[in-house]
Amino acid sequence: MRGARSSRLQNALPGIWALRWIAIAIGIVGWFVYYPIVNNFLVSTTNQDIFTGEVTNVGLDNYRRLASDPVIGTALFNNSMYAVLSVVFQVFAAFWLAAIIEGLKSERWRSIWRAVYFIPSAISTTVTGLLFYFIYQPNVGILDGLLTHFRLEHLSRVWLGDPQTAIYAIVAMSQWQGFGYSTLLFSVAIQKIPQELYDAARMDGAGPLRQLISITLPLTREMTGMMIIVTVTGAFQVFNEVMVMTAGGPNNSTQVLGTWLYEQGFNQNDMGYAAAIGSLIFAITMLCGVAQLWYTRRRRVLA
Amino acid sequence: MRLHMPGLTAVVALAASLGWTGGAIAQTTVADPAAPVEYSGNLKVLTKFGTQRLQPYFVEIAKAYEAAHPGVTVELIQEDDDSVKGKTKTLVASNAIPDVFFSWTGTWGGNFVRGKRAVDLTPVIGPDTEWGKTLAPAAVGAFVYDGKYYGIPLYLDAKFMGYNKAIFAEVGIEVPKDLDGLLAACDKLKAAGYTPIAIGNKEPWVAVHYLGQLLAYNVPKDVLEADFDPATATYSDPGYVAALDQFRQIADRCTVGADMNGISYQAALQELSDGKAAMYYQEIIEFDNSANPSTKLKPEEFGFFRLPAPAGAKGDPNALEGAPEGYMISAASPNVPLALDFMKFVTTPENGKVLSAPPYGQPSAVIGGADPATMNPAVVGGLEDLAKASYLIQWLDTVNHPKVAAAWLSNLQAFAGGSMSAEDVVAQVQAAAEAAK
Amino acid sequence: MTEGHPTQAFWPGMVRAFLWAFLFAIGVLVVYPLLWMALGGFKSNSEIFDSPFSLPGSWSLTNYVAAWHATQGYLFSSLLVTVVSTVTTVLISAWAAFGLTRTEVPGKPLLVGFILGGMMLSPTVALVPLVRMLQSLGIYDTHAALILLYTAFRVPFTTFLIRAYMLDLPRDLDEAAMMDGATPGQIFRKIILPLCQPILISCVVLHILFAWNEYLFAMIFTNSASVQTLPVGLTSMMSKQGTNYAALFAAMTISALPIVIIFFLTQRYFIRGLTEGIGK
Repeated sequence: MRGARSSRLQNALPGIWALRWIAIAIGIVGWFVYYPIVNNFLVSTTNQDIFTGEVTNVGLDNYRRLASDPVIGTALFNNSMYAVLSVVFQVFAAFWLAAIIEGLKSERWRSIWRAVYFIPSAISTTVTGLLFYFIYQPNVGILDGLLTHFRLEHLSRVWLGDPQTAIYAIVAMSQWQGFGYSTLLFSVAIQKIPQELYDAARMDGAGPLRQLISITLPLTREMTGMMIIVTVTGAFQVFNEVMVMTAGGPNNSTQVLGTWLYEQGFNQNDMGYAAAIGSLIFAITMLCGVAQLWYTRRRRVLA
Repeated sequence: MRLHMPGLTAVVALAASLGWTGGAIAQTTVADPAAPVEYSGNLKVLTKFGTQRLQPYFVEIAKAYEAAHPGVTVELIQEDDDSVKGKTKTLVASNAIPDVFFSWTGTWGGNFVRGKRAVDLTPVIGPDTEWGKTLAPAAVGAFVYDGKYYGIPLYLDAKFMGYNKAIFAEVGIEVPKDLDGLLAACDKLKAAGYTPIAIGNKEPWVAVHYLGQLLAYNVPKDVLEADFDPATATYSDPGYVAALDQFRQIADRCTVGADMNGISYQAALQELSDGKAAMYYQEIIEFDNSANPSTKLKPEEFGFFRLPAPAGAKGDPNALEGAPEGYMISAASPNVPLALDFMKFVTTPENGKVLSAPPYGQPSAVIGGADPATMNPAVVGGLEDLAKASYLIQWLDTVNHPKVAAAWLSNLQAFAGGSMSAEDVVAQVQAAAEAAK
Repeated sequence: MTEGHPTQAFWPGMVRAFLWAFLFAIGVLVVYPLLWMALGGFKSNSEIFDSPFSLPGSWSLTNYVAAWHATQGYLFSSLLVTVVSTVTTVLISAWAAFGLTRTEVPGKPLLVGFILGGMMLSPTVALVPLVRMLQSLGIYDTHAALILLYTAFRVPFTTFLIRAYMLDLPRDLDEAAMMDGATPGQIFRKIILPLCQPILISCVVLHILFAWNEYLFAMIFTNSASVQTLPVGLTSMMSKQGTNYAALFAAMTISALPIVIIFFLTQRYFIRGLTEGIGK
């Protein structure tokens, strides 16, 4: 029945019939992921009034506005700073933390630490955003409480209300949440390194630090490279954390591209401009994606 | 089979989704007073009564209505003062406006009228109609656009300085008569160890409300109204900078100053209810929130006064910041007569009395819908004071074009944080008005 | 042979003590805020304001009970959307990965590029057009909308993982089965799928993590309380509860707990799947 028909088709056009395996994937990804991206470019060349539903073509006006909008500068700075700090904590620091954990003798303790550090990553950014919002509260929050306990009240600020500190407060929360995930991935990568290499190095008299630098570091380079690109790409797509904690305030000092897009499109009814911001995000993440592709291809050639 | 079905559906849906119909309606829908009401179906209502205290109001009304009319289900989407703004915008953007939805007056409501999303209610709620006669004329009149009536007012609101009578008595101060008097009182309160005025500007409209009242005092009414319209806006009156400077004085001498940007308005209100702060600038509809049987501040100890005007102000010292708030009917609703019938039920004098009394304390716009015997005396007093105002200036962030509103909100927050000058704030607002032309 | 695990102590004595202290310090940094949150739920609201750091005076369950009632609808929605989208995502991705690695599909590099390229496309960019699209499809404000979107946006990454794993599976079993006249469908079901168990489990866990915690789409594409998922429900509760921190803490704990428990239970399989899948 089905076998008969499929073998007929299979003999005639084996490849085409095999398309059925990926048909749904192609369909759903093409329709919901690719098409909106293309559509987004079209929307960015218009001015849309969500109340009247009118659509007027304005060419590249929205992009001209992108170039002169000071908040875009703030957003780009915030995203970039997010990227840099995330790489420091979630790539480099996570690597060293994973190295420390993997160096422990007891397997039980290794999995305990990996699991404990991972807990924040399992919790949604909304919950952690709300949690840290409370932690940063003046007077009632943990942070101020700690500072008071250690007689450091003068260091206390209105963390989320001060434009100078707000974005850093958000980034700190993000690192708390993400480092466990990166540490886990690095642990996995480190585990793949054969023990013999370490034993040999030890015979040669190398201490632990030396072993880490000359064995572990080079052999996890692929994971490191991938993590850097994933982290940077993620940093330019940040939305949840900022939205829940400050919604881009105070005075737009914590805006990132994602929240500014939302503000323009949904609060200021300017869908066209929001789409233009979307195109900017797309260009940046595309660049990162291409970098990732180039990097993995290069590794495969060398490996 | 698997290849064909998804393909076909995809093509059809793709074609549908490519259409830019966007839900624009060609003509304004007008309410028909003669249309018969069909008591069946689902009615979606977007309210602003999402907080714990206010939630039961519409829930009870919905239950009563459903009991009286089996076959009708009322679905409530309850948001609070802040989230209703974002929620409404999302609903509009997705063409999913509920049958009955909350709206402020001014440009906010005007957006729906302009987009032909609201039903013209003149034939059913105009001053000569049966229904219209049951509502306070000024309240219904606040929802007039292009000479037509679009909104159903539910309650009146105005901004007052709530204060703790016990603290005032303890420190020995009287209700201040002008701005300098207020500032002097603040100094005394600070010396006595109290926070003079609690303020939380994490939600930036809080500072904007202060400024609105100060603008009414410092800038003549006709200049203000011209400036509210981007086409005629100039923002050149010196009263703007004067008002900003006065706000700065209040912020510095009476409040925590720049820290206000990290505190939410609810936390600030709690400071008053907990007896830690002496004053809190609030709307009448928040009176019952500040002082009720379950808070430390008891209703007998709660008093209010208008934000004192600066001596010699160039605007109108008798103007009061406030506006009615109400509901509109969506033009896209499949059952407009039912929606109207529901709102008529909501605005009966009995339901009005419930709304005006504690725990809700939202003074009803229905004539005869406020019974002083059941209401919080402060709310009664506030209503009387409201009636004496020369005119009501609406909230800056709802009366203005969204771009100008956004400019006020974010720049005032920076001003409050001390990182911007008064002249710069006005310049930014002016630029936003230019861009909004 | 055991990979990469020290047979003798890796860290010398003194350093080891210091490192242990360091690990514990970080552990405290991670666990303390969460404990604070969970314990806060047991306190009354004024207790939180007066003595934020002490243990609850009386272990009151009222907040948790109230939170349970308040979040039930959201929990159900999250459960529904997560479970269904996990099934669809992993299934569709497994089919796609099989098609890309084990069959004679034409234009493989192009198709691989297309599907994996989807990973680079950001949901935020798609937001504005998706609003119109979903609305004209009539599925705005439904569970179906979220399920569709979650699947569409996660298929690329999940396919990437499964494909990487399948690439390294030995072909002899396939070939033997084909000699015996098995159809690709049977090969998929009886041979490949069971062999892929580790990576499939990892993909399931990863997708659950994503779907349970997803916020952006849930916020924008759902309105009714009956359709909204936990993250959106929580922010909605935040504005409604105002300063009732205790109630909020209880709700937050309830929404975080299931995921943490799931992770602990599936930890070993999850890591094994990643271990065998990565490093290719």
